[in-house]
Amino acid sequence: MRVDVSMDLKTGASLALFGASGAGKSTILACLAGLETPESGYVAFDDVTLYPPLLPTYKRSIGYLTQEPGLFPHLRVKENVMFGVPFEARRGPEHTAWVQQLQERLRLHAIWNAPATAISGGQARRVALARMLARRPKLVLLDEPFAGLDRQTVRELIDHLSFWQKTLGYSMIAVDHQAEVLQRLCPEDVLAIEAGRSIQRDSWAGLHAHPATPLLRSLLAPL
Amino acid sequence: MTSPSPWLARVGALLFAGALLYPFTAFFTFIGPWNWSDDVRQPALEAVRVSLVLTGWAMLVIVVIGTPMALYIVRCGARERLIWQAVLLLPVLLPPLAQGVLLSLAFGTQGAVGRWLHHFGIVVTNSATAYIGTQVYVGIGYFVLGAVAAMGSVPFALQQQAALLGLTPWQTFWRVTLPLARLGLAVAVTITWIRTVSEFGAVMVTAYYPSGMPVQLWINLQSFGLTAVMPLLLLFLAIALPLPWLVHLLAQRRSDA
Repeated sequence: MRVDVSMDLKTGASLALFGASGAGKSTILACLAGLETPESGYVAFDDVTLYPPLLPTYKRSIGYLTQEPGLFPHLRVKENVMFGVPFEARRGPEHTAWVQQLQERLRLHAIWNAPATAISGGQARRVALARMLARRPKLVLLDEPFAGLDRQTVRELIDHLSFWQKTLGYSMIAVDHQAEVLQRLCPEDVLAIEAGRSIQRDSWAGLHAHPATPLLRSLLAPL
Repeated sequence: MTSPSPWLARVGALLFAGALLYPFTAFFTFIGPWNWSDDVRQPALEAVRVSLVLTGWAMLVIVVIGTPMALYIVRCGARERLIWQAVLLLPVLLPPLAQGVLLSLAFGTQGAVGRWLHHFGIVVTNSATAYIGTQVYVGIGYFVLGAVAAMGSVPFALQQQAALLGLTPWQTFWRVTLPLARLGLAVAVTITWIRTVSEFGAVMVTAYYPSGMPVQLWINLQSFGLTAVMPLLLLFLAIALPLPWLVHLLAQRRSDA
């Protein structure tokens, strides 16, 4: 399916991408992260052109969380988090305080020296979050990172993301099937995607009141 | 399906090991006193030196060329990968003697490359170059096929994750791909080492001299009989076994750590 979307986002703001499965939401995130290459068009962030020419993923200051925490199984929790700290930053003393702050805030004390393979699913998401934040990303992309988690853990992770957004000032784009999760994460701005096209950009209240298509109305309706 | 009891499994494993090790009881067969006279010892020690030094160089060439090749094959499309794997299987499938014949014809004065090399004074038969070149040709297919399997088993998502965390492809290789593929790579290195250090058929055709351990075993058998073969065989095991075993030990230790 062809995904053809035009959108913009203010620095430090949050945007929810909402739509049915297969609408092209994850493709948009993958293009922003450099994991997929657009066929045409223009992608830029923070005055840096991402495409064209294609800027390699490792040169983009982007944090990316998905359903799979993607922890490195050969490393301990501590090493996984440290993986996020850029090499050049490790020389200075300030990174120690920064990592310690992440460790405390995300409650990683008890599992700090544990192998990444020996922790629970909820703990793994917290470690993945800490590792992503360790890099101080300018743009955070969330592709259903809360799938399969209990409501308490989801609430906790959303609070963390909102807290660190205020601290680090990153912009955030989130994708999820559940409108209530997105609404809590990105309360002001939502872009509805259908069959690879953006169909409505609105506030959540506007989207609920006047959904542009029957499918959108159906997706927003309670079960 | 219920798994067999641990004791039954262990007995099965012991029987398997017994069958593998049974031929080694031949060391205790009475064939007369072993011959380790000066005539046997001097060429034997020289053969050990030749085998270790030249196989060491061959392994270095194999790993340096084979690793990026394996990485390329892992990352190319499924259809292209099949073509590369078929190319790699061709030399691997040939009987060693046939490999030797092909190599000596292609790199001898009858072959285009051989003539060209000869023009520059590079001798590619019965020389250290021939010995290393033959071992590389014989072993590299094993290494690349093994390395492709090992590195292909590392989830691509983890390598993408490393890139998202700012690691260059080179750093990703060293810090993610290599550590996660180390057990499979250890197996690839081990099998390649065993294949190259024990190569006889191809090396006998292309590089009878300098004689490595396998060719020296043949010379001992022809010149002195079995009594001169057994001590060199024992020496061969003592020299060739530790390296692959150590590689396995290190890879295992790191994965348990």
